[in-house]
Amino acid sequence: MTHTDSHTDVTAPLLQVSGLKVHFPLRPGLFGKPAAMVKAVDGVDFTVHHGETLGLVGESGCGKSTTGLAVLRMTPLTEGRIVFDGEDISHPDAATTKRLRRKMQMVYQDPFGALNPRMRVLDIIGEPLRVHRLTRTRTEYRARVMDLLDRVGLKAEMADRYPHEFSGGQRQRIGIARALAAEPSLIICDEPVSALDVSIQAQVINLLEDLQRDLGLTYLFVAHDLAVVRHLCHRIVVMYLGRVVEVADRERLYQAPRHPYTRALLGAIPIADPDPEIQARFNPSVDGEVPSPIDPPPGCPFHPRCPHATELCRREAPRPIDVEDGHSVACHLHDPSRATEMTHPEPSYQEQARNIA
Amino acid sequence: MFTETSMATAEAAPRNEPAPTLLRVENLRTVFEKDDGLVHAVNDVSFDVRRGEVLAIVGESGSGKSITAMSLLRLIPSPPGQIIGGQVLFDGQDLLDLSDDAIRQIRGRDISMIFQEPMTSLNPSLRIGRQLAEPLRVHGSVPKGKVRERCLELLRQVRIGDPEKRLDAYPHELSGGMRQRVMIAMGLACLPRLIIADEPTTALDVTVQAQILELLRDITRANQSSMMLITHDLGVVARYADRINVMYAGRIVERGTAHDIFHRPRHPYTVGLMASMPRLDDAIGNRLTPIPGSPPDLSDPPSGCPFHPRCRFAQPRCKQERPPLERLDEEHWKACWVNLDDTH
Ligand SMILES: Nc1ncnc2c1ncn2[C@@H]1O[C@H](COP(=O)(O)OP(=O)(O)OP(=O)(O)O)[C@@H](O)[C@H]1O
Ligand SMILES: Nc1ncnc2c1ncn2[C@@H]1O[C@H](COP(=O)(O)OP(=O)(O)OP(=O)(O)O)[C@@H](O)[C@H]1O
Ligand code: SF4
Ligand code: SF4
Ligand SMILES: [Mg+2]
Ligand SMILES: [Mg+2]
Repeated sequence: MTHTDSHTDVTAPLLQVSGLKVHFPLRPGLFGKPAAMVKAVDGVDFTVHHGETLGLVGESGCGKSTTGLAVLRMTPLTEGRIVFDGEDISHPDAATTKRLRRKMQMVYQDPFGALNPRMRVLDIIGEPLRVHRLTRTRTEYRARVMDLLDRVGLKAEMADRYPHEFSGGQRQRIGIARALAAEPSLIICDEPVSALDVSIQAQVINLLEDLQRDLGLTYLFVAHDLAVVRHLCHRIVVMYLGRVVEVADRERLYQAPRHPYTRALLGAIPIADPDPEIQARFNPSVDGEVPSPIDPPPGCPFHPRCPHATELCRREAPRPIDVEDGHSVACHLHDPSRATEMTHPEPSYQEQARNIA
Repeated sequence: MFTETSMATAEAAPRNEPAPTLLRVENLRTVFEKDDGLVHAVNDVSFDVRRGEVLAIVGESGSGKSITAMSLLRLIPSPPGQIIGGQVLFDGQDLLDLSDDAIRQIRGRDISMIFQEPMTSLNPSLRIGRQLAEPLRVHGSVPKGKVRERCLELLRQVRIGDPEKRLDAYPHELSGGMRQRVMIAMGLACLPRLIIADEPTTALDVTVQAQILELLRDITRANQSSMMLITHDLGVVARYADRINVMYAGRIVERGTAHDIFHRPRHPYTVGLMASMPRLDDAIGNRLTPIPGSPPDLSDPPSGCPFHPRCRFAQPRCKQERPPLERLDEEHWKACWVNLDDTH
């Protein structure tokens, strides 16, 4: 296994995930029966380029966090391959794992649970410096932590306080400073602002943007708030029930979504403007709820809720099709080779809704 | 300029006939006793709910939205909480003066409440049918022999498929969205005149949230009821609210029609909220303008205007004197010393 330095080839993607599957046994099967499996991630492909923010979106339980944890190599892979910085990390040895713990960092959703309440901020932020022996003297260590505090907009005198003395937004800054300490090349942010009030969210969003600009950071940004994702992410991966349904840059994803699920998702977001003309764009076109990943529907995972579903969709899972450069969609509707099997008198969204009701 | 107390006179001669008032809250105050002093969770709050309208209450976490709603129905845990002042006028009677029996009659029959967490508000060991029948039984709204029929009708109304089967299900056998629909069905059971919905969809996915909010709005409209919608989601507010109260640190700081609040906000906090929120129709690359600092600690609130430590328009006066809620025009009110215009 060779380790290539991240600065040697910036045109190659920083992270490449292919055919990723993560299945969890639900509970041990009785009398030797095979355990039921939760197919949390069930065939996911994406790449992350140097210096970009890639968004991972989708509704609760679609496998976003599990994907993040798999990339961090904190959960075993069932199948698939992860290449980070030119190195296959699908089955890392101890030394590789140690190096990854430094090169990839995580920022968590819950700024209250993620910090050790008995540690001072100085040592919370400094822990990666100690673990990876990145500073030699106590003075250097303290100076480095002061730098990090300053970077994230906290005051030097806060170093000696404990987490409970900070507000939610401040704790999230502490979490970010800690993630920066080891100078990682990839930061995985799992819902970093969703626990914060609107007025505080913007502070953290701006901080993440500034850090990326100043330090050239790469983010994998997991979130369900599509307005936040549009603001922060250059490209977006939409997941549904453990699979990727659409990948596009933000302009195309928000202006011309192709997958029926992406359309439904975007149509269901209430827009913060009471103007009737703008409200007319609101179109919550799907009924029902996301099925369980324990017993996912056969064929296309979206077919039970999709207004365009055909016999083919119920039988066969669609493969991702490139509809334009950098825009791929996993839906039979967009596969020219399946066109004949997809023609049927389509009920309108409204008719569909009435049928379900 | 009018002040809060002149509201009644102003409403006696309305220009474009607002709907009649269903519920009026006057100078409500609710406190919590804590080791380090009193928390003024709801501090001199006044507003009314009109017939047939959706009235929203928005504000950050801890600003007093839920405690306001719970105070109306006297659901404040006491101790440590206590309503220490004000009136809640409904049908000419003050709900805060009623006997415990009388307020219990009002709850669920005339005014019902739908909470955020369906799992904690449904009893996990009782079948859905039993729980749905409870308000009908308590208030005797339908004859005994018709209860099951009414339950089925309610489940159909909230679009739960296969209602006969669902009557026998336990809460854990239903999805989050279905449990929330059951909560709504319970809230609607006795055709209340006012529904208080406290973050009714916050725990749900956006596609499910849309289904449920549309449903809730359609049903309240069909029943000609009013709804008090509590949320921190400005998108939800823009879509469903007729009028909006913006709360900050236990007080209403701005009130207006949805158009007023979104297109001509006049309180610096509301202006700040609008600028700090990423929007789906922003220009890409737009920088957000956050509100600096964080919400105040209500056991030690700032002097004067509660927003002054975070306000970019603050003046020396703001630290000393608290601005009253004053009327700007027919529907638009604000509590701020400074006169902002559209350029901010
Ligand atoms: N360790 C585990 N054991 C069993 N099931 C798991 C485990 N971790 C996750 N799951 C299940 O896998 C699915 C995907 O979970 P995951 O946390 O990745 O979703 P998510 O997209 O992050 O959702 P959310 O938006 O709610 O955070 C869920 O059904 C979850 O219950
Ligand atoms: N049981 C309690 N004991 C002590 N203080 C309480 C209690 N319940 C609420 N409070 C205080 O009352 C204030 C208002 O709380 P409330 O629940 O109304 O906020 P909210 O606006 O509904 O917030 P959220 O958006 O988080 O639901 C808070 O500052 C809180 O600290
Ligand atoms: S493959 Fe079929 S069911 Fe799936 S999203 Fe496309 S049209 Fe709908
Ligand atoms: S009264 Fe003063 S501090 Fe308060 S919101 Fe108005 S300008 Fe700001
Ligand atoms: Mg998650
Ligand atoms: Mg609340």
